[in-house]
Amino acid sequence: MMMMNGEATEAELFLNCADMSVLERQRAQLNYHHLPGFFSNSSTINGGEIDDGFLASAGLDLPEIYGEVHGDARISVSPGNITNESGNSKKRKFGCVDTETKVFNEKKKMMMMDREVEVEEEEEKSKITEQSTKSIMKMKNKAKKEQNSCSNDSSKVTKDSQRTDYIHVRARRGQATDSHSIAERARREKISERMKFLQDLVPGCEKITGKAGMLDEIINYVQSLQRQVEFLSMKLATVSPRLDFNIDDIFAKEVVSAPMMNLPNSVMPPHMMVNSGYPHDMVNSGYVHFNPMQQVVTSSDPLACFNNGQSATMWDSDVQNLYSSLGV
Amino acid sequence: MQPTSSMKEEFLKKWQMGLQIYRPLIDNTSVSERRKAIKLSADVAMASLRKGTTCWSRALIQKTATEDNFLVRQMLSGIKAETLINKKLPKVMCHRKIVRRSKKILRRRQSRSAIEEVAAKARKLVKKKTQGLRNVVPGGEFMSNDVLLIQETLDYIVSLQTQVNVMRSIVDAAEAGSERTAYYLGKLKFAIEDG
Repeated sequence: MMMMNGEATEAELFLNCADMSVLERQRAQLNYHHLPGFFSNSSTINGGEIDDGFLASAGLDLPEIYGEVHGDARISVSPGNITNESGNSKKRKFGCVDTETKVFNEKKKMMMMDREVEVEEEEEKSKITEQSTKSIMKMKNKAKKEQNSCSNDSSKVTKDSQRTDYIHVRARRGQATDSHSIAERARREKISERMKFLQDLVPGCEKITGKAGMLDEIINYVQSLQRQVEFLSMKLATVSPRLDFNIDDIFAKEVVSAPMMNLPNSVMPPHMMVNSGYPHDMVNSGYVHFNPMQQVVTSSDPLACFNNGQSATMWDSDVQNLYSSLGV
Repeated sequence: MQPTSSMKEEFLKKWQMGLQIYRPLIDNTSVSERRKAIKLSADVAMASLRKGTTCWSRALIQKTATEDNFLVRQMLSGIKAETLINKKLPKVMCHRKIVRRSKKILRRRQSRSAIEEVAAKARKLVKKKTQGLRNVVPGGEFMSNDVLLIQETLDYIVSLQTQVNVMRSIVDAAEAGSERTAYYLGKLKFAIEDG
């Protein structure tokens, strides 16, 4: 969502901000959903796959993503999603996209419900009478075409092949069918999905199940991170009297490549970690948590690339520079 | 998702750029001044990583602009700076008195079954927590939607992690450097005294 615009100039981005943000969020949302949909059993998201930007869109084209989701979702997601519902009941399709534009022009809210996918026999067709529609803003034509074609492929009785701005939603069996409760249900599901993401992100809350508890943990974690920033900036202010950390010298010598373990208590300076012979894969994995409450995991430190032999000489030269800068 | 090295690189570059702006101002010799400079430039660097696409980043930039307008203008390129700083985001307003009164009336009308009470209390608790979260996340008051709030929180947490990681490694490097300096200083002194 953000990083894909890295190439675009900021001016462009800004001028198109109103439109782009809507679409970006759509795409971002789709990515949210189509990822955990496939790894539905493992709750962690592999950090290595998603590159820049948390909401980066893996694929730029909306239709492609949708095509993927539709193609595989039927196969992989469907068996997993049949829980308490009877065999004849309909299933809810993964990949609900919701965008909320709170951008500068304050466009109205956009709700896009996902389509219910009918899986079972024909007798169900007759039961389908309820449909609720939501009005949304105009989407791009290509996306809509794809959606319609995909929905036609997947469900036999979807009656929403008409090209309007409405997306038709089917109510689940045995539940209220007025639009408000459907909207609410969709909203609740979205929230719970996001909370699952948060569970992966915040350390130490795999066991907490309620919303209130989770929110508590999140608040505490954010506050602790903010406090850490304050503390580190204070420390930095005391350590370096002139705000120049000689970074250029240190960085000029290597490439930022290997991610390194950053111990929460940070007693050992990074280069010493490499020297002391930490197993390289552990150093590189970055997923080991030493102290769950304080973990801030991977750190790419340019100093991490120092080798045993070189470190001494490099540091000496750096120290010389530090001398000069400190006015010693 | 964990912060990636490219994110950290970018953050570091932007932060450096911000610190450069402070260097010619020699009057920030007090520790608190320096700390403020460091923190502000770090915050703006973190927010500018998102290039104005997220609500929290815009709110954070506005917040730091109130403290140091010059820095923000320098750190961000022309167009963005103007609009971001001058834009006033719509706040989610609610007249508490009116809300409270209407809630009282509603409560009188509702039936008091045990289950409902428990559920209502749970909902109240959740609402309180979300309000707490809005207070913590920059720009939280402007997010009218719960879904949006949680989305923004996710992004904010990742960015904070990036920031903390980079700052921590810099602090470690600086400390190690100063330790080494002290060590060599001692050695030098010793050498001088000896011979």
